[in-house]
Parts: sequence; structure tokens; C-alpha cells
Amino acid sequence: MNIDDEEDVFFEEGPEEEEEIQKRDFTKLELKADHINRPLWVCADGRIFLETFSSLYKQAYDFLIAIAEPVCRPESMHEYNLTPHSLYAAVSVGLETETIITVLDRLSKTKLPKEIVDFIRDSTLNYGKVKLVLQKNRYFVESPYPEVLKKLLRDDVVARARIIANEVAEGTAPSFTVSKAPQDEGGADPELLGGTDAVAAMEEKDLHSFEIDPAQVEHVKQRCLPNALNYPMLEEYDFRNDTVNPDLNIELKPQAQPRPYQEKSLSKMFGNGRARSGIIVLPCGAGKSLVGVSAACRIRKSVLCLATNAVSVDQWAFQFKLWSTVGDHQISRFTSDSKERFRGSVGVVVTTYNMVAFGGKRSEESQKIIEEIQNREWGLLLMDEVHVVPAHMFRKVISITKSHCKLGLTATLVREDERISDLNFLIGPKLYEANWLDLVKGGFIANVQCAEVWCPMTKEFYAHYLKKEYSRKKQALYVMNPNKFRACEFLIRFHEQQRGDKIIVFSDNLFALREYATKLRKPFIYGPTSHHERTRILYAFKHSPDVNTVFLSKVGDNSIDIPEANVIIQISSHAGSRRQEAQRLGRILRAKGKPQDRVAGGAEEFNAFFYSLVSTDTQARILPTHPEMYYSTKRQQFLIDQGYSFKVITSLPPADTGADLSYHKLSDQLDLLSKVLSAGDEAAGIEQLDEDMDDITRNRFTRTHGNMSTISGSDGRFYMEYSTGRGRGMGRGQLKKARDPNKPRNQLFKKRFG
Amino acid sequence: MVNAIKGILISCDIPMAQFIVNLNESMPNAHKFIVYMLDDTHIYVQPNVGEMLTKRLQEFRDQNTYEKPL
Amino acid sequence: MPRVRVISRNFMEMVAGLPPAKLDLLYKRHWTCQAVLRSLPPLAKLYVMRLLYVEEAVPSKSLQDWALPDAQQKHQVAINRMEKLRVILVERKKEVCYRMNPVMQKQLLQALSISKGPPRDVMPGNVAVRLPTPAELDTYAMKQWESVLLQLVSSASSEAPIVSPNFFVIDMFKLAGLLLSLKPNSAPSITDTGFQFLLMDTNSQLWQLVQVYVSAAEDRGTDSGELIGFLLELGFHTVGEAYSVGALTTPLQKVLEELAALGLVQLQKGMKEQWYIPTKLASNLSASLSESSDMQSSEVLGTQGCIVVETNFRVYAYTASKLQTEILRRFARLEYQLPNLVVGALTKESINTAFSSGISAEQIITYLSKHAHPHVAKRMPVVPETVSDQIRLWESDRNRVELLSAYFYDDFPSTEVYETVLNHARSIGGLLWEDASNRRLVVREELHGDMRLFIRRQSGAAGQRG
Repeated sequence: MNIDDEEDVFFEEGPEEEEEIQKRDFTKLELKADHINRPLWVCADGRIFLETFSSLYKQAYDFLIAIAEPVCRPESMHEYNLTPHSLYAAVSVGLETETIITVLDRLSKTKLPKEIVDFIRDSTLNYGKVKLVLQKNRYFVESPYPEVLKKLLRDDVVARARIIANEVAEGTAPSFTVSKAPQDEGGADPELLGGTDAVAAMEEKDLHSFEIDPAQVEHVKQRCLPNALNYPMLEEYDFRNDTVNPDLNIELKPQAQPRPYQEKSLSKMFGNGRARSGIIVLPCGAGKSLVGVSAACRIRKSVLCLATNAVSVDQWAFQFKLWSTVGDHQISRFTSDSKERFRGSVGVVVTTYNMVAFGGKRSEESQKIIEEIQNREWGLLLMDEVHVVPAHMFRKVISITKSHCKLGLTATLVREDERISDLNFLIGPKLYEANWLDLVKGGFIANVQCAEVWCPMTKEFYAHYLKKEYSRKKQALYVMNPNKFRACEFLIRFHEQQRGDKIIVFSDNLFALREYATKLRKPFIYGPTSHHERTRILYAFKHSPDVNTVFLSKVGDNSIDIPEANVIIQISSHAGSRRQEAQRLGRILRAKGKPQDRVAGGAEEFNAFFYSLVSTDTQARILPTHPEMYYSTKRQQFLIDQGYSFKVITSLPPADTGADLSYHKLSDQLDLLSKVLSAGDEAAGIEQLDEDMDDITRNRFTRTHGNMSTISGSDGRFYMEYSTGRGRGMGRGQLKKARDPNKPRNQLFKKRFG
Repeated sequence: MVNAIKGILISCDIPMAQFIVNLNESMPNAHKFIVYMLDDTHIYVQPNVGEMLTKRLQEFRDQNTYEKPL
Repeated sequence: MPRVRVISRNFMEMVAGLPPAKLDLLYKRHWTCQAVLRSLPPLAKLYVMRLLYVEEAVPSKSLQDWALPDAQQKHQVAINRMEKLRVILVERKKEVCYRMNPVMQKQLLQALSISKGPPRDVMPGNVAVRLPTPAELDTYAMKQWESVLLQLVSSASSEAPIVSPNFFVIDMFKLAGLLLSLKPNSAPSITDTGFQFLLMDTNSQLWQLVQVYVSAAEDRGTDSGELIGFLLELGFHTVGEAYSVGALTTPLQKVLEELAALGLVQLQKGMKEQWYIPTKLASNLSASLSESSDMQSSEVLGTQGCIVVETNFRVYAYTASKLQTEILRRFARLEYQLPNLVVGALTKESINTAFSSGISAEQIITYLSKHAHPHVAKRMPVVPETVSDQIRLWESDRNRVELLSAYFYDDFPSTEVYETVLNHARSIGGLLWEDASNRRLVVREELHGDMRLFIRRQSGAAGQRG
């Protein structure tokens, strides 16, 4: 089997449809008399439908995004799911159980189903009662309710993690440390319709706490989650009253003006005057870095910023200097190439996940730096692109570094798998998630025209494609399909000549990358391309009017920053990866031109273009690996759910044109065919990236397609999206069982699975 | 003398024709059904294979389906 | 989707099909005359007005002079229609002459001179105790029509709600070919035409049923002339007013009950008397039956559009109607049902199911756009392009391969014979494929007999010459 199929694991769930439909008949719900004025429906299974044309849409959206997971958000109707995790997130940003129920009821067209009210109560009853506090490099579990702490300690994991002070006499149960709760100055988010802060209820109470082993923090947090002990721990940092750690004297520059949605993200994070740990989800190009830098400027303590690769490290350092008053002496980069020592007791350190999590022998210099990182108490741990970081790496990073507040940034929380729960306990709940379409409408990100171009296979290529003896060549055959090449050439010409655009062509298949680029005389960059060469090509792409197209392999997905491009053409892509699709789209989302031209109806309403070229009739059964059409549909799902629409284009070049394009003559096509057939298997495979020591992705692609045995079993060489390694080596038929039985399902799923 | 053969004319696009050709090749000799490959998009086949072909083509189409889960 | 004009012409065709005596009987009632006048093309209307005061027969030539030379075609159409409907009668003396039908002439003249009131008297207010409000009447008509369609839908799937059968409606559906009983006493099942019928707008549906109703009248023991007359007359009634049932003939009283089943009228009973109240459906139907202009087939009933189709293929229908839910189920995968909302998705599977029951991509797209929720109705296009494109692509995907039973011919003795045979095959509309360089051709199977004969003759001829 193909490991890419693991993404399917999640899709296998759910009993027969018939049964489902029975369950989803909620016609008996009582409609309120003034239902027209209310914006949403709530179903007993947790599904919520929101009208975007309601006058209460904005308020309802802000509320829903705080309490529920978005399922899809196209133009007129959004769908959300209420889950234990989403409710945990809601409580974390200061919403109380009764506030959630009251507001939801106020917004709902029907009376709330009893099941939902019970569900919200059950899921949130215990939330907000327990906190995890970092004090002077020691971790404490804290609560105003000693009975809750006792309950937690009845759990083995928690009990083992506890550090018991020496003075406790033998035979007596260790007691809790008792202290007075600090005055909580902040109420709940004022926008949330008058709810009182859950935390406020604890005022003036004694706080009880016990200490836990820093190495066990993450396990304890996990045990406390809704699917286990169900006392999820809040992590808040009262940075203003932190007198132990020195202040970092930086602030935002006057020109750094956060946009409304950036403000909103920050208000969720700092809602009650403290800093909450969690994740902020913003589309690529929407200015995540300004949110990160702003957060750092509010907390004003030491910042550890983790990026996915060396290029990103440079960018983050640049962004810090761009938006904030941080001085050169206050910021240092730590990568395999650049080991800047810290200066002073407080500052910003930008490094990669790999550098921190590296398990092998380090140079003396590196070792010193890493020790400093380990020994410092960080005010803010800023984590970029949290969706690409494997869980084990997160664990390691988080157990090594001690931080008061963790902020994860990402563009794409892909929700189908269980990674969302990993992120939930490792970093914190999702604090805010922007709606892509609203940002497009506001002109903050580009309005992208997405198209899927269907390229029929030519007779000869398809004839070979269908033959068993060429099964190993299937991918090469459909990627090198002359009709696809011609469509690509046509699009490049069109955008270069008619619109003067800058184009990136992505190909995961190296053979195709080289062939296309060489034939079209365009520069290309892939793993082995030297740093010098990359810089030269990218410089030309950015500045030369003669270099308007560049071909990129996977290296372009994360490690190369090219804000100039506004057209993307994918000729081959990683099978079925929705994240990759969104990531690539993100490359051209950064809004260009004047904002007034970009809004609906403006001169440049569509100023960015995203094309996926697929060879048609490449199907699953005939082709056990990489059915291109199938995956293409799947990978678009994420974007489609954000409201993007993919137009299907079936004839490119248009009929009766294209005589001047390559491979017009049959003889040329046949030459290409024999070249494809004679190429080595490895040439037709997918790139291996092992260049960038800092790149988190460096071991992701060590496989040739269809060959399971080449994939190492060592945990964590996997790129997270494939799953964390469960189901490896299983046959296709066993996929249904691939879900780890030891991992409890969240409660909504439990109901369905019995 | 003019020769007449009863059969079925298949008209389709180029990839589908190749699919049918490939199907024909995968059959044992006794079951090969293509009488004439007329051109890239027309195939003349035995009169009795209509049902079998319709079924195979339906299967082919079904494999291209991707349904978003509920 | 059938256009209104086509249907109204069909209906007038039926009027024209009545025996002359019945037709003349119809013309004794002035509203029938007016209705027929309305239905005529503009030029014919003009001729009627000119002939109205002429008592002599007018030579065909003179009539012809009334039209401009370049309007001869229109002239002919007008004359034909008038003749068929017996608006004018032919008299053959030395030359062909036309005279206005005196019965109609008299009625129209009267109608012009004395402005006539409604065809029937409205019931006095003290008799009809409580008339429904316009809104109530619309709701009634809509409910009735829905229940008619539910009869059709309930035979379509096991998931559909169970309704008690209305045999009159079921008979009509059977006659219209929308339902089919495979065995005499078995439950009827819906046909492909029936599925397509469901996606039509209310007007078109109603017309189609009424047409069947009229055609079947004689067999069901109703005088078709009387029925047609009454249907046309209904158009001159006032919607919402009560009219006495007792004033009607016994056969028409039976007709009323059937019209009530279709929602055209509402029947009410007082202490002694019974009366009927025409609904919007009736006035609209009758007006349209005799309307000659190409009127927009707008929805008769105040059913606001309710469907939102999103770019992610999800469908949201603001409806509580079982019928609408069932219609959606024909081509969408329904996922959630709420008191006033149905949520579904258009999937390849669900659309293909619709295709296999004879519904076309265009019908689905038209249905979705015609029933668009006001919020999206202004959007262009109403159904997102990606969605309509995809539905069409799915349809064309089904038609990628065409299989046709055929005969293949080769071994022609000469190019000459080949070409003669080829031309013959083409002329009888049977040529499917040709290859001149190898003298081969493929012809439809059903024309093989013809082809064999023709080829034999050709070969014989060629043989003789050779």
C-alpha cells in the first residue's frame, strides 16, 4: 500500500448512511416565532449552520469560531461542529458554560436540542478549574478546589509526575501548598455578550497546588484533557506581575498597524490581561508574523521563536526588526550556519525546531547555546507553522524549553485526523481562526482564481499507462503526458505575455521538473541546487523582466520566500495532501496592488491564479498508486471548504490553437514517450530532500513511490500529515482499523461508534 | 463481393478507445471482441459484448469518484 | 422544459378539435368567444375586429390585401388558425370567401355594445359566511397542488412520505405517462417523464395535467365541450369570490370536485348551499390557456425560491415542504433536516442517480436556479459556475462512449459502387462511419435490410456493366 492512503483513515468512519440520515432528522425542533431574525440552527449532533447574510453574522461568527470548529465556510452558509475540544478552547478564552448556552440559544432559530445543552454542560463542567503554572522554573498544578486536585492525583500518570517535597512526614499524605489567588483584573472578552469570566469566580479563594516533574508536564496535560480525566488545564501567564524574569524593552513601531483580524486574534490571546497559550489560525499571506511580533511586544519578556527552516529563521529575524524596536543586540539567530550567542539576560532568539530537538552530538558551541535555551525561562514560545511539526518533535521541544506562554501560528489546521488534539494539549486551544473569504472581501489577501485543468492522456501515453508491464512508470507517464505539457506551456505564455505575471511552476516529480524546465528554457530549483545558484535564480526572478517563470520542486513549499509570484501552476503534486495545496496557494495569497482594486468588483478582482494540471482517466483500480484525478479532488477539499471554488477547464490549449506549442507533432510525442520509458525508476520518483539540516521536512520524502520497505520505521521521520506512523505496513483492507484503539475518541464520536 | 458483418460500433474519445483496446488485450483469445480498430475513436466489436462493455465502462467511471465524507 | 406558449397553443388545438356543432355551442357563451379571441395571433385579432361588422362573405383575395406583402406567412398562419377554430367559415362560391362565424360574431358584438359582467353571479355576501383571505386561499391552493405532486413522489421511493392515494390524480398521472402500472393491479411506479415532470414549474405541470384531463374527458363521461367552456370561463371569474355550485350542470359539479383536487377551486358548504371559490391557479391557468403572447412561466403560487447552492456543492433549501424535500432527494444527498431547512450535497453519486432516472443536467441546473433563495437569486450565475460545470461534466462523462448496433460493409468491387452505396446510406440517414480510402462503411443495424437490397442491385448493375 501507499502511505499516502493514511489520510483516508479518517474518512472511513461513520456507520451506514441510511442510519445517519435517520439520526439527522431534526424537524421536530421547535422553531422560534422570530426565527428569521436569528442567524443559526443547532443540531443535536453538534452541527451548526450559520447564515452569513444575517444581520447578526459578524457577532455570530466571532462567537462560533470561539466555541466550535469550522467545517466549511463558503459564501452564504457556514457549517461548524461543536466538539469537546472546541468547547475546551471556548472556556480557555474565558467563556463560561452558561454564557455559551445562553448566547447559542439567543442566536438559534430553534430551541436548543436538549442533547446539546447537556453536551455543553458535560463537556465544560470541569473546564477552567485547574491551571498549570510555571514559577521559577518549576511547574505547579493549581486549583481553588482541593478535591479536584485529589481527584487528579488518583490518576497514576498524575500521581507519578508529582514531586513531593522532602519535609512530608512518612505515612502522612502530602498536603497541597496553599496560597491566595491573585486579583483577576480582566473580565471576559467584552464582545461576548456580557458573560462573566470563569476565572473571576475563583477570586478571593485559597489556591491549592502541587508540583510536577517538568519532564512529565505534557503527559499530565494530556491526562487532564476532555477525553480522559476531563479537567483540561488552562495555561495563562500573568506577565505583568512577573517580577522574576527581566523585561525585554521592545515595542511595536508606529507603522506596525495590526489589521482588524490581527487585533482580534490578539484580543483573544490577551483577553483577560494575561497571555493565554494557544493557536492562532490565519491564511498564508494574511500577516501571521505581525501577530507573533505584536504578542512578543505585549509580553515583553524573552522570546524563543521556532521556525521550520533556516530561511524562515532569517525571515522571522527580519520581521522582528521590521515591526518592532528590537535592537540588533537583543536578537540572535541559531541555525546550523549561524550560531549567534545570546547577549544579555533577556532577548529574542530565533531558531529551528530541528536545532532544539536535535538528539545527536552537538558541537561545543551549539551545546552551549542549547543549554542557555534550556535554562532560560521564556516569556513567550512562538511557534511557526505548527501544522508541519511532528508530534514527537513538539514534545521534545516543549519538554526542553520552559515557557510561560506558547503561541502557535498556522494557516491550515487540517482537522480530519487526530493531530488537532496533539496540538491542543501540546500548545493550547485554538484562540482564533480567520475566515478566508472575509479576508478576501476585505482586500487583505488576494482573490485567487483557482482552476483545475483536465488534460486527456494522449493515445500512446495512455496505451502504455494501461499496460501492466509499465506499472512502475505510471506516474511518469501521466506527469509527462504531452497534453499536460502543452497546457502548461500555454498557461505560461498566456500569463507571461498577456498579463506580465510572475509564475511558479511546482513539480514534485523531479524527472518532470527537469524535462519541463529544460524544454521550456526556464530556471529550476530543487534540493541539490546550491545556495548560490538558488540566490542567483531567485534574484533574477524578482528583478529581471526576462525571468518570469521559475520551476520549483518541493523545496519551494516551505523554504523559499517568493512574494513576487502571482501565478502558480502545479504539474505534479504530492498525492492527496490538502495542506500542501493550501500552502502553495498561500504563496500567492499575499495581496498585491492597491487594496481598493482587490475588493469584489475592483479592477483587479482576480489578481492571482492557481492552476492544477491533472491527467484525466488515471484511476485507482487500474492504477493502485497515485490516481491523479482522485487525489486532485481530495486535496482541493480544504480550499473548497474555505469557500474557494475550483473551475474545471477541459480544453487547454483551446481547440484549433496550439500548433506552435511543443509536442504538437506525433513524432515529438513518441520521442518523449521513449525517453520516459527508458528513464530509470528513481528518476521518475519523488525528490529526496536532505540538504537543509534545519529543515523540519528534511526526512519527509525518503521514499520512492509505491515501495513501503524503503520507509524507515524510526518514529518521527514522518511528516505529520501522513499520520504519526499508525497503520504503517497494513494492507489497504485494514485501513479501517488504523485508528489507535487506545486513544479515546472524543465524546461526539463515541456516541456514533457505540 | 461486398461483405457485411453484424456488430456494434463504439464511438468514444481517445483514452476510452485505449481503455477498450487494453480490455480486449487482457482477454483470453476466445473472448477477444474487437473486430476492427476503425480509427482512434471508433471501434467495431462483436454484437454480443454490449452488456459486458457497458458494465466495465460503468466500473471504470465509478472508480473516479471521490465523495467527501459526511 | 415546455414553454407556456406551446402549451397554450396545444390547448387551443384541442378546442379546434371539437366537432363543429360543439364548437358552435361553445361560442354561444361570450366568454368563450373572448377567450378564443385572446388566443389568436395579433394579425388574426385584427382581422376579427375588421370582420366583426361585415355580414357578407369576404373574398380570400381581399383579406390577403389587408396584410403587407412581406407578411404573407403571418397572414397564412392567421387564416389557418381562424379557420381551424371556426372563427371564420369558408364559403366556396366562384372563389374562396370567408365569413365570420355568426354565432361568435353575435356574442362579440354584444360584448362590445353592452359591457357584460362576470359570467356568473357572485354569491350574495350573507350566504357565503366566511370567505378565505387571499393568503389563506393561496396556501390552500399550494397545499392541494403539493398533495397532487406527492402522489407522484410517493411512488418514487420508499423513503418518501406515505400519502393516501387519490385515484383521480393517479389516473391523470397514468394517462400523462408519468406513472406506470406494470401489472394491472400493481402499485404504479414513476416513469422517467414523471421524474422530469417534478422539476418543471407549477404552471407547466398544471397545463400538462389539464391537457390530459380534457383529452380524457369524453372517456370519463364528461362532455369535452362543456369542460373546455368551463375552463375558459374560469378565467373570467374573480379569484377569491364565491360562486354557486347549484347554478352549474350536474356534470360540471362533478368536474368542480376534480378541479378542487387539483387546487384550482376551493369548495365550501353552507347550511343549504354549496359554493366554489376560484384560486390563483385557476385564473392563471385559464388566462394562460387563451393567452397567445409568450408569457413568462412565472410561479403561480407565492412560493418564494428557497435554495442556496454553494461552491462546495452543498445545497441548503429553506423549506418545510415534504414535496420539495423529496424533489431534492432525486438529485442530492440529504444530510440534515431541520424544521425549516434541508441540507444536502450534490455528489457524483446522487447526480448520477438522477441521470439514470432520466433527469438531465440542464433540468437540475434550471431547477436549482429557478428556485433560488432571494439572497442568492441576484447573484450571477445563481448556481455557482463550478457546480453547474461539474454537473454537466458528470453528464458528459456518462456519454463518453456510445454503443450502436450496426452492420459493417467492406470489399466493395469498385470505388463507384462504394460511393453509390455510401450516398444511399447517407440519404436514408443510416451512415455511422465511413473510410473512403479502404472502401469501408458502418450503417445502423435496422437499415441492413434496405442496404442489402440496394447493394445487391448495385453489384448486379456493376456486374452487368463489367
